[in-house]
Amino acid sequence: MEMTLQLWSMLCVGAGLFFFAVGTLGLLRLPDLFSRLHALTKADNLGLGLVILGLLPWAGDGFQVLKLTLIWLLVLLGGATGAHLIAKRALRADGEEMLE
Amino acid sequence: MTDFWLAAALCLLLTMALGLVRVMRGPSGGDRILGVQLLGTAGIAVLLLLGAAFDMPALADVALIFALLAAVSVAALTRRRLTREDS
Amino acid sequence: MTAPLLLAFDLILIATLLALASAALLARDARHAVMLFILFGLWLALVWARLGAPDVALAEAAIGAGLGGALMLAAARRAARAAARDETPDTSGETP
Repeated sequence: MEMTLQLWSMLCVGAGLFFFAVGTLGLLRLPDLFSRLHALTKADNLGLGLVILGLLPWAGDGFQVLKLTLIWLLVLLGGATGAHLIAKRALRADGEEMLE
Repeated sequence: MTDFWLAAALCLLLTMALGLVRVMRGPSGGDRILGVQLLGTAGIAVLLLLGAAFDMPALADVALIFALLAAVSVAALTRRRLTREDS
Repeated sequence: MTAPLLLAFDLILIATLLALASAALLARDARHAVMLFILFGLWLALVWARLGAPDVALAEAAIGAGLGGALMLAAARRAARAAARDETPDTSGETP
């Protein structure tokens, strides 16, 4: 049982790390803002979900499980909203630089 | 299992440090804000892994604050500057 | 095995923290500096979490990075607007 849980965690966290690495690689290597947005926001949220999935068997009680799941849902919501905000701001900048 | 959690957190920390390169020299402001989002998400994962490694479930609360902070700061940074007509 | 992992973790954490701090200090534009300050606060919260102080990490993330960052961003934005107004005085009439 213990072995199975460990294997499950290693698989899930390993896959999550892979997605994080791919997201960062996309952020560094892709040519323009919109392709970077596309690579980063999806890969990152999936990576976090997989890491949390790997951590769930080790959570102490049901409340902790609920909290971890809610963190992931909040990140999903916030990530999607943030991606839309960045894209909209970049599209309708009227020649005005973001952060300027 | 502690070593595995720590190794995973170390990998994620390296990923975050690489993402900072884009924040420092991103050509446009949007790239820098994307870096903020990456750091928020990866920071949550590092905090949760550290919480598992050190057996400190309280770190999940810090992760929750990180999630909130990343969302709010992206919204604040992308806000348009008010022109003088609107203000 | 745990000790070298922790050592590597700490070294990367501190090196990046110092890099972020100097970048925030040396940034030329005020809003870039504020953004780097927010990232610095996030990173410092990670350091507190590593040191085993989740309550301090909580306060640092919420107050240091969140509240302070938002206030400084508003101030930087306002300062930039005032500077732009001073540079291009409007033609509708001078104040008497």
